[in-house]
Amino acid sequence: MKRTLFAFAILASTALTSAAYAADTIKVGLSGPFTGGSSSMGVSMRDGVKLAVAEINKAGGVLGKQLQLVERDDEAKNEVGVQIAQELINKEQVVATLGFINTGVGQAAQRFYQEAEIPVLNNVATGSILTKQWPDAKANYVFRNAANDTIQSAMIADEAVNRQGFKKPAILADSTNYGQLGQKDLTEALAKMNLKPVATEKFNIGDTDMTAQVLKAKEAGADVILTYAIGPELAQIANAMAKLGWKVPMIGSWTLSMASFIDTAGPNGDGAMMPQTFIEAPTTPKRKEFIEAYRKAYGGDRMPSPVSAAQGYDSAYLLAAAITQAKSTDGKKIKDALENLQTKVEGVVTIYDKPFSAADHEAISPNIPVFGLVKGGRVVPAHPEDIAGDKAVRIKPKS
Amino acid sequence: MNILAQLIISGVVVGMIYGVIAFGYQLTFATSKTLNFGQGEALMLGALVGLTTINFLIGQSLSSFAAYLLMLPVVLAFGLLQGAVVEFLGVRQAIRTKSEAGWIMATIALGIIFKNLAENIWGRDALRFPSPLPEAALTIGPMRIQPMEIAIVLGAIALMIAVEVFNRRSIYGKAVVATANDRDAAGLMGINTRLVITFSYALSSMAAAFAGVLVAPITLTGATMGAVLGLKAFAVAIIGGLSSGFGVVVGGLILGVSENLTGYYISTGYKDVPGLVLLLLVLTFKPSGLFGSAAIKKV
Repeated sequence: MKRTLFAFAILASTALTSAAYAADTIKVGLSGPFTGGSSSMGVSMRDGVKLAVAEINKAGGVLGKQLQLVERDDEAKNEVGVQIAQELINKEQVVATLGFINTGVGQAAQRFYQEAEIPVLNNVATGSILTKQWPDAKANYVFRNAANDTIQSAMIADEAVNRQGFKKPAILADSTNYGQLGQKDLTEALAKMNLKPVATEKFNIGDTDMTAQVLKAKEAGADVILTYAIGPELAQIANAMAKLGWKVPMIGSWTLSMASFIDTAGPNGDGAMMPQTFIEAPTTPKRKEFIEAYRKAYGGDRMPSPVSAAQGYDSAYLLAAAITQAKSTDGKKIKDALENLQTKVEGVVTIYDKPFSAADHEAISPNIPVFGLVKGGRVVPAHPEDIAGDKAVRIKPKS
Repeated sequence: MNILAQLIISGVVVGMIYGVIAFGYQLTFATSKTLNFGQGEALMLGALVGLTTINFLIGQSLSSFAAYLLMLPVVLAFGLLQGAVVEFLGVRQAIRTKSEAGWIMATIALGIIFKNLAENIWGRDALRFPSPLPEAALTIGPMRIQPMEIAIVLGAIALMIAVEVFNRRSIYGKAVVATANDRDAAGLMGINTRLVITFSYALSSMAAAFAGVLVAPITLTGATMGAVLGLKAFAVAIIGGLSSGFGVVVGGLILGVSENLTGYYISTGYKDVPGLVLLLLVLTFKPSGLFGSAAIKKV
């Protein structure tokens, strides 16, 4: 009898401590590819989030509790993303999830959060559909602080045609959803300027030879190449152009800032331009502080993907502000707080002043990203005047 | 620059890669009537082992050209070993029990295991392979070509000639040919046919590993690099005929060039179609392949 009582006491005390432990922290999910082709983006995003969470916790946490990240590697695979979503929701019981690099993974996994009424802050994936997956639903639990493809394709077309005066664009896109939807967006953006691409070419992931695609663009008389693809194949395009002794500017989606493009294309990639929400340069005190803290925590003199790191960092602060305002970890209350955020959140990308509303779940507006340029293995501002002086922080206009 | 010439030369380069891998299929099919469906993975493993070796040698302050040459024997030896392992684990049992499909499942399974192994050792990122030759393209007549692309064509031809000469001239090679002609008769003549089959698998993987380090400098190395190449080479082997070493080379060239010509003159979206149409036509009208001799299976 004595022994049973003793055992019971031990059981009770462990149960109590673990319950107390759980109550002391607020669990936040983190889902992204930390291995594989898009890992440079996933790892930077994760590191950005971790940096922000460490700062928040050091300053006393949220609602008097510490934030606890539950990190999972979705391997850029839709089915793994779905498993992770279910694990985070049902087993870990997270209050919200940050992440998603790949539009496909987001699309597959987000519906579980939507059903469970747990907010998602999508901080890197750019597919336009992601925040509009359920147009008929009463509430939408998906928010985003990345520049979506509608914004990016319009920017690319505008930069090539209006700003640089090119008249004969060729579009090169990969055969994935990302490439083909982007190619469609680009064609539409060009059509608004009464332009038709002189060539629209396609290639598969893993193609080793781009001669046919690049030759077609060349023979069609293209004066600029617009791209929607990911790092390794983009590098193959730059290398094929160099091989054929043909050099026209490459302007494309933000994936032209991927380390796998910059490193593989080497000098052939110099001059490529892409929309960026953040360029690794200390243009504001907040950015300087962020870059220094990131390098101190993770080493190196170049972030693998600065955009992902900055957006990851900002997403954690946006969530913390929403939980604070909601005074609760209830999913619905956090969602309501996000849609009506009273405090201004000073992030790395921008100052978020009422970034979301019930109808608009996109924190990044078309005026925020600027063009970056690959130069000597780094991304630098393409037009330094765009972010000079008081234009350094570009704020979403009030609706 | 002449467009047609440029398209053809680029197609020839890709086609030679397909040809070398398909040559590997042909080697094992000749002796044992089985194939290694993990041929793409053999290529990938060869390239990754080559990458580690060449990076180590460059770390010893060798030039990338010298490091590449020193790396080749390591990769070839690794290929031989890897092929022998595949035969031992996946094929031997199936041949002994005269299983019709056992070796198919076993070699596919081994391919998947090799891919997972590579993902664990080298990670899932695509890695850059140091080029042993200058990367600036040369202008030769109407075409522009990278030095490494010339090396691919020459290297592929050299490997295939070496294997053919070995098979035709040396006594060991004659054992291989004898086994290919009639396994039972060769066995009765005192040839250790089981060893010959192991050896043909070793040679087959060696060809694939060699193709891996040839193609790596103009593309990227990674665990998934073999999948598409292995599959295309399989189509090449069917088109050219599995019984003819010459046939697979021509098959490779046909596929490589037709891909490029379709991509340019029709649409890059349909690049892969003519190869597959050709595959279907060959299977319908000449199932032994364009250059294959019709096999009569006696039961």
